[in-house]
Amino acid sequence: MTPVKTATSGAQDAGRPRPPEPPDPVVPSTSSAERQAIAEQFGLTKMGVRPPLWTYIKDVARRGAFIRVLGMSSAYARNQNTYLGQLWAVLNPILNAAVYVLIFGMLLNVSRGVDNTIAFIVIGVFLFRFVEQSVNGGAQSIAKRSNLIRSLHFPRAVLPLSNVMSHLTTLVPALVVMCLIVLGSGLLPAYEPVPVTWQWLLLIPAVGMLWVFNMGLAFVMARLVAITPDLDNVISFILRLAMYGSGVIFPVVRYVSELPEWMQGWMGTILEFQPIAVYLYLGRSSLMNEEGFPQEPFMWVLGAVWAVVFFVVGFIIFWRGEERYGRD
Amino acid sequence: MTDDVAEADAHLDFDLEDESDDAGEHAESIPLGDPCLVVDDLHIVFRVFGGKKRESAKKQGLHVQDATPVRRNPVKRLLGAGRQHVGAVSEVHAVRGVSFTARHGESIGIVGINGSGKSTLLRAITGLIPPHTGSVYVDGEPALLGVNAALMPQMTGAKNIEIGGLALGMTPRQIDEKFDEVVEFADIGDFVDMPMRTYSSGMAARLRFAISSAAVPDILMVDEALATGDAAFKARSKARIEEVREQAGTVFLVSHSISTIEAMCTRVLWMHQGQLVMDGPVEEVTEAYRAFVRAHRQARSSARAGGRRQNRQDGQSRQDRQRRS
Repeated sequence: MTPVKTATSGAQDAGRPRPPEPPDPVVPSTSSAERQAIAEQFGLTKMGVRPPLWTYIKDVARRGAFIRVLGMSSAYARNQNTYLGQLWAVLNPILNAAVYVLIFGMLLNVSRGVDNTIAFIVIGVFLFRFVEQSVNGGAQSIAKRSNLIRSLHFPRAVLPLSNVMSHLTTLVPALVVMCLIVLGSGLLPAYEPVPVTWQWLLLIPAVGMLWVFNMGLAFVMARLVAITPDLDNVISFILRLAMYGSGVIFPVVRYVSELPEWMQGWMGTILEFQPIAVYLYLGRSSLMNEEGFPQEPFMWVLGAVWAVVFFVVGFIIFWRGEERYGRD
Repeated sequence: MTDDVAEADAHLDFDLEDESDDAGEHAESIPLGDPCLVVDDLHIVFRVFGGKKRESAKKQGLHVQDATPVRRNPVKRLLGAGRQHVGAVSEVHAVRGVSFTARHGESIGIVGINGSGKSTLLRAITGLIPPHTGSVYVDGEPALLGVNAALMPQMTGAKNIEIGGLALGMTPRQIDEKFDEVVEFADIGDFVDMPMRTYSSGMAARLRFAISSAAVPDILMVDEALATGDAAFKARSKARIEEVREQAGTVFLVSHSISTIEAMCTRVLWMHQGQLVMDGPVEEVTEAYRAFVRAHRQARSSARAGGRRQNRQDGQSRQDRQRRS
């Protein structure tokens, strides 16, 4: 049996006509040096070179309209093929907050001296969601859009920026709902009434600074994941750590006293003054009228510093990889 | 590669049909100007995740298409299974040392069978895929005709005209000025206010072409943009390409349809396995390429049919032998 089989396959190989051979590769008539000389003589510019930082900033600024339109359109497109449509942009964080209020606020009761647990959790969840979305969106803004990068020219910083913009677009109506929930929680018999004061307006600069901070985060994530796609899998764990470490659903700072003594000092400082905790504090101090969250000028300065530092460093990190995006 | 192109590749294979409206037409030659594009020993290497066949190609020093997977015994295969799926990163050398110079006023076609590196070369010239080694020098800003990747099927045609225009680097004011022209050119009428996913494929293709040709670039690159659309639309696109050529100079065109290339180009580059194998006037190269594709196709079809026929004959003779014995 075996010899017959080999004979067949042998005959098959011999019987198949060879595919035709194309001509040999062209030998260019000019040498590499000559071609470079031609390029120089006619004033041609070299492609694929990273533009200087200042030119790049101007390029990005000129694409402001593109960033806005792309961001708003993708925010709209995200929720478009459901029955409730754009309503999900608001429903999603409400449901999310409801789960945390139920588990952490009512069942576990870990509020540690916070009076209005509902307001605390709702503000935390709504604001942290913006950070979470920006990190995830920024991470995928380059890696998942290689099609776009390989077909059009534009400064690539447009992609993470428009991604954060799209999440800001859905955040604005959600924030209105957030304020209404905080206001409504004051009507419950268990809590003190929540007065609407001029301080509520401070939510706007707080969210503005958070936006700038998120753009910086998105830049860093975009470059990291574009170069090492594996990191995309790690992000969700880091975000969960950030969520518990920033006091999104319970005031983690007030648990520091339970740590061993040698850890208390630096751990307390990190937990209290790391950027996400600062922005949550600013949001809460603006809306909640509680002794635990007074207005603190120092926190506002710190919030501004974190925003600028993250944005500038993130932008430079992203710019340094500019010519490499799209190659894989 | 955009999805559309991939799809076109899958369906078109190589297309030799002479389309009646293309036949006999030739691009008028425009006096050549100064060099506007110099490509110097360009290499493009892609990083591929989870590819093992490629690695064997690299070992054998062959192009991806020619490499055969290495046969290993079962024990080795079992031991190596982990490595095949974890950290399987390899490289594909898609363009291997291409050099040429293009001048103002030239209309250059790029031909080659599937996977020969045409689209990659085009994208590299446009600066969209950074070169591995070598360089591309260019006068002005080359642009690829095709905004498909920027458009959103969920949004209306009008919104997509805005997004596409901005993606191409137009200002909001320029888009306003061009808006009516684009709608008219695409011939979509009231559908402009409907989401793009409700369009017929012809309408979507027309709108895409209309948006992408709204901006007039210095060097225009066209990648299979003419694969869809009716005859009237084709004629209009051809006129648009001629217009760009007269104004700015250089047009690059990748197409599987040789008759389209013959009708629109003055010079043709033939790519094979990432290398430039022929570069010359349109008649000369297309004639050689046509012969090559015919032979290639014959070889393939006879290999497919031949194998089967041979098996059957073999079986018959075996039966004969059995009957005789």
